[in-house]
Amino acid sequence: MHEWSDEHQMLRQAMKDFIAKEILPIKEDLEHGDLPPYDTLRKLFATFGMDEMARSTFRRRIERERAVAAGEVVDEPVESFGDPGFTLIPIIELSRHCPGMVTAMGVSMGLTASAISAKGTIAQKERWVEPLLTMEKIGAWAITEPNSGSDAFGSMQATARRDGDEYILNGSKTFITNGPYADTIVFIAKLDEGNPPAERKILSFVLDAGTAGLEQSKPLRKMGMHSSPTGELFLADVRVGRDRLIGETEEVAKGGREGAKATFQQERSGVAAMALGIIEQCLEVCVEYAKNRVQFGQPIGEFQLIQQKLAIMEVARMNVSNLVFRTIELGQAGRSMSFAEASAMKLYSAQAATAVALEAVQLHGGNGYMAEFQVEQLARDAKVLQIYAGTDEIQTTAIAKALLA
Amino acid sequence: MNVVVCVKQIPDPADPGELDPETKTLKRDSKLILDESDSYGVEMALQLVDAAGEGEVTLVSMAPNNEVGGLRTALAMGAASAVLVSDEALAGTDALGTAKVLAAAIGRTSPDLVLAATESSDGYTGTVPAQVAELLGLPSVTFAKEIAVDGGGVHVKRQTEDGYDSVECPMPCLVSVTAGVVEPRYPSFKGIMAAKSKPVDEVTVADLGIDAGSVGWAGGGQEIVGIEPAPARESGEVIEDEGDAHERIVAFLDELKVL
Ligand SMILES: Cc1cc2nc3c(=O)[nH]c(=O)nc-3n(C[C@H](O)[C@H](O)[C@H](O)COP(=O)(O)OP(=O)(O)OC[C@H]3O[C@@H](n4cnc5c(N)ncnc54)[C@H](O)[C@@H]3O)c2cc1C
Ligand SMILES: Cc1cc2nc3c(=O)[nH]c(=O)nc-3n(C[C@H](O)[C@H](O)[C@H](O)COP(=O)(O)OP(=O)(O)OC[C@H]3O[C@@H](n4cnc5c(N)ncnc54)[C@H](O)[C@@H]3O)c2cc1C
Repeated sequence: MHEWSDEHQMLRQAMKDFIAKEILPIKEDLEHGDLPPYDTLRKLFATFGMDEMARSTFRRRIERERAVAAGEVVDEPVESFGDPGFTLIPIIELSRHCPGMVTAMGVSMGLTASAISAKGTIAQKERWVEPLLTMEKIGAWAITEPNSGSDAFGSMQATARRDGDEYILNGSKTFITNGPYADTIVFIAKLDEGNPPAERKILSFVLDAGTAGLEQSKPLRKMGMHSSPTGELFLADVRVGRDRLIGETEEVAKGGREGAKATFQQERSGVAAMALGIIEQCLEVCVEYAKNRVQFGQPIGEFQLIQQKLAIMEVARMNVSNLVFRTIELGQAGRSMSFAEASAMKLYSAQAATAVALEAVQLHGGNGYMAEFQVEQLARDAKVLQIYAGTDEIQTTAIAKALLA
Repeated sequence: MNVVVCVKQIPDPADPGELDPETKTLKRDSKLILDESDSYGVEMALQLVDAAGEGEVTLVSMAPNNEVGGLRTALAMGAASAVLVSDEALAGTDALGTAKVLAAAIGRTSPDLVLAATESSDGYTGTVPAQVAELLGLPSVTFAKEIAVDGGGVHVKRQTEDGYDSVECPMPCLVSVTAGVVEPRYPSFKGIMAAKSKPVDEVTVADLGIDAGSVGWAGGGQEIVGIEPAPARESGEVIEDEGDAHERIVAFLDELKVL
């Protein structure tokens, strides 16, 4: 794949129209007024039939799983979501204006739904996944803790203790996207059997908002991604039945790893698409600004130092765009990147987006530092791409590990 | 109920291209898109067919270079199929020639209703729909802002300077629709994916039984005799503030009688 297809372009145009009409008029409230993005995302889903499509794909998949579970021979594989371009284009276009909305959407219908889909029982999927995929319910996925980030599993302090047929959950989670508003929360904890923490099993539970002992904080103040509410979760003796333990078994190790990898893969291609949206938007407004801003009697675009900035941005755009194309082409062929390759893509895209957005601020001079000009926001938003979904350093380590294996 | 919508595919107004000094017409060799004016007709047609509970929306377009870009957009919105007339012999066709071609293409189907826009965004002569109706021998209603269908006819609210006329008309008929009166739907994901496989019947002038000499440059009853750039806007008066700027602005506004 070397360019967007006619269908992709039609979708991009439709997304641009929707954003201009439905999102830009309320952008100030989304970015500076704590307006949660969920109703707007639901409108987006309903407008483009994304909810209906997700629902019917999900139902077909469940029917097939049920047939397999009943021992029926099923040779027809369920066609997947189809063209990954249809998932990535809304991400790219939204990220030109409100990358936070993508974060909120991706964590809910991507990360949270995938965590339950990958390891859950059929009954659990029916109970929680469908409303997440349609954005009817908002999801959060909680692994990070105040003392456990990159070393998520090693330093994790959240615990699950057996109590008869039930579990008692305790712990605090932080930096949780959608935490303040989530209806459905995947909470990851260590099973405390009195054994040393390093030997404890990692279990995931599904919690509903309002469960006794669960507290969801207000949104935290942060540098960027303001259209994505981020918060803390506090659990004090939250009692849950086995029906909320994902997979309904403590032996989740076997199928779990593959599922987690697929989730990472999805998350990383999402970050590349976000980076592309940010880079494209920065480049577009910078080219305009370079043509129109006059200093020393000429447009600043006449200065070679400004030209160099634009050229470097264009190189980044081409590279990230090619990575996105590669993701789409692999997806269309029913394949995916290796873990290290996806890490490399995430690392490069995140760094490129941050570098481009900061140079875009520089190119705009004082205006670039003002909230009125869009690059100020995009520079703040871009930075987190190097931190969440695995920091740059963790991606680097994963790439090197694969090279040296 | 079967509805035909005439849709014109035009150069992207965001990237309007140029006039050809030789032929004095718009260059149409770049990618063409669905004229926004026609998106209202498409939306109305989809709503009417929906309300009727049966039938289909068919698109008819005449465009150079076998262009289907704009048609695909309307197909993604929900139209079922399209007829595209594209033929080198049509270069230079004037509004009446366009109407002959569209009428012949529409005549191949037997729709209950034909919709068009009041005027296109690029040519905007606003003459094609009435000519098509005349050539097909159909009654025509113009400036529709609302259309309802029952029994044998259409009920149209026809926009006027100070309100609307209520007009009834038997079917089949042709109605031209005012821009902005409905909210054209976005193409859905499913619609976009399905659009590629919907049938587009590409026909030539000969297929329609039209004499090539009666259309194109040869058949033009009109001639574009000259094209001139629009006069540049005269620059306004710049008032340097030497302490009395406010008085001079007030005097200026007073002269315009806006104060
Ligand atoms: C906006 C936002 C949204 C988030 N959403 C979620 C969410 O929805 N759910 C969730 O669970 N978490 C979420 N997070 C948390 C995020 O995943 C973590 O912040 C991230 O993994 C880093 O962990 P940390 O903040 O504890 O940093 P630390 O792990 O403390 O890292 C500090 C620094 O040390 C470096 N470092 C750490 N280990 C190594 C090493 N082995 N080698 C070299 N360098 C190292 C890091 O790269 C970093 O530069 C979110 C974070 C943000 C900012
Ligand atoms: C001498 C002359 C030469 C010309 N040469 C060329 C040429 O070489 N190439 C060229 O492309 N144009 C050419 N034009 C322009 C072209 O003829 C007009 O654009 C066309 O006839 C339609 O007129 P309009 O856009 O003013 O339609 P209007 O009457 O303003 O259109 C009203 C509605 O009619 C329908 N309609 C109009 N045209 C079409 C169409 N083509 N397909 C489907 N529905 C339609 C649409 O619903 C439209 O909104 C020429 C015009 C003249 C006078």
